[in-house]
Amino acid sequence: MSSYVKAAAGAVVLMLLAAGAIFLYAPTDALQGPVQRIFYLHVSSAVAAFGCFAVVLIGGVIYLRNESVTADRFARAGALVGVLFTTVTLVMGMLWAKPVWGSFWAWDARLTSTLVLWIIYAGYLLVRRLAEPGRQAARLAAVVGIFGFIDVPVVYYSVTWWRTQHPGPVIVSNALPPEMLSTFLFTMACTVALAAVMIVIRYRIETLLDTKQTSTEPAKVLASREPSGLAGRAR
Amino acid sequence: MNPVRVAFAVTRKDIRSEWRTREMVPALAQFVVLALVIANFGFQIDSRNAPSIAPGILWMALVFAGLVAFGRTFAAEREQASLEAVLMTPASPVAIFAGKAMAATILLVVCEAVMLPAMSLFFGTPFSAAVVGAVLLATIGMAALGCMFAAIVARIRARELLLPLLTLPLWIPFVIAGGQAVQSAMGLSGGYDNAMALLLDFDILFVVLTSLAARFVLDE
Repeated sequence: MSSYVKAAAGAVVLMLLAAGAIFLYAPTDALQGPVQRIFYLHVSSAVAAFGCFAVVLIGGVIYLRNESVTADRFARAGALVGVLFTTVTLVMGMLWAKPVWGSFWAWDARLTSTLVLWIIYAGYLLVRRLAEPGRQAARLAAVVGIFGFIDVPVVYYSVTWWRTQHPGPVIVSNALPPEMLSTFLFTMACTVALAAVMIVIRYRIETLLDTKQTSTEPAKVLASREPSGLAGRAR
Repeated sequence: MNPVRVAFAVTRKDIRSEWRTREMVPALAQFVVLALVIANFGFQIDSRNAPSIAPGILWMALVFAGLVAFGRTFAAEREQASLEAVLMTPASPVAIFAGKAMAATILLVVCEAVMLPAMSLFFGTPFSAAVVGAVLLATIGMAALGCMFAAIVARIRARELLLPLLTLPLWIPFVIAGGQAVQSAMGLSGGYDNAMALLLDFDILFVVLTSLAARFVLDE
């Protein structure tokens, strides 16, 4: 069994343990009932997404400084996993909002800025897909990733800066009973571990894709010489 | 080479080429007037609901006109491969970028000079210094961001697809603050000074960040 399979299995076990804590250990909310249990994964995946986008930021800065291919691959992996976790945050938030607020969506600052975050990094992934792979694409994407990170503190502080329908911070303001807090912290640790494992695996995939790219380079050059070739059609 | 003089030289060159061809400004002006006409049919605007609808139309038209304007700044250079030649000179890329951003800003301001009077003519909204100030303040930051992303996508195949996708999310702060400022200038409640201060903050943030990034975007 390769170390990647082991790491993935470990992450799955951790997430199952977190599910156990959420459904069996944590107490039911007095006001909202069982639907409040969405909270644990909803907030944890937001934290994991912020972490992934921090990887994109750091990878981009390192790439612009010394053109390290490793940093760029980590940035690519971080963006993909980050978009995934932002999607989880948004979808779980909507599922929670429907019974509690009466509608799936409200245009308040927290929800809007999170949606913008999703769009920014989905745009990052599109840049990676549409630009010719190589130095140029990596530099441009690094700039996009660095600019996109501006929205992360905006999402985090939006509930403090504006009056929002979305509740304010409950963790740092100590509003949770101890069982809920420990369940949340455990779920958050498991989710961040899952995100880290996903980034490492995606990093491996990006490495393999890069080697495939370079090994097929001569074939591409040949194709571009024919007018109807692969490169001719791509223009 | 003095970077300020380089920037102004690039701006002068862009404005002169626009003056000789006269294609962008008439097209953009026609575009924003058309946007007003279409909005009129979509919303059934009268003097009662104009203050609440007009700011939204203003920002929609401005945002899409801006996308066209900033997309064109680097498109012309790309078609004639003249950007590479300019970058080969010892002039700093930041100065070249600033020059192109200034030229695009001037073009957009000219098209705003058509849109704002047309708006007050058609919808009866006030054409006041407060509205003009908010629009101009937002234009600065939007131009910095728009030109940076236009420079980025100029080298990418699907540039027309990508420019709005990358630019619009980062323009949202300007639309939020600018929208609030124009709404309160047109008679709706809301803090005008707060929104203007926020616009100024965004301008400073994005002008500084784009000047830092310009070296990486244009270099090659």
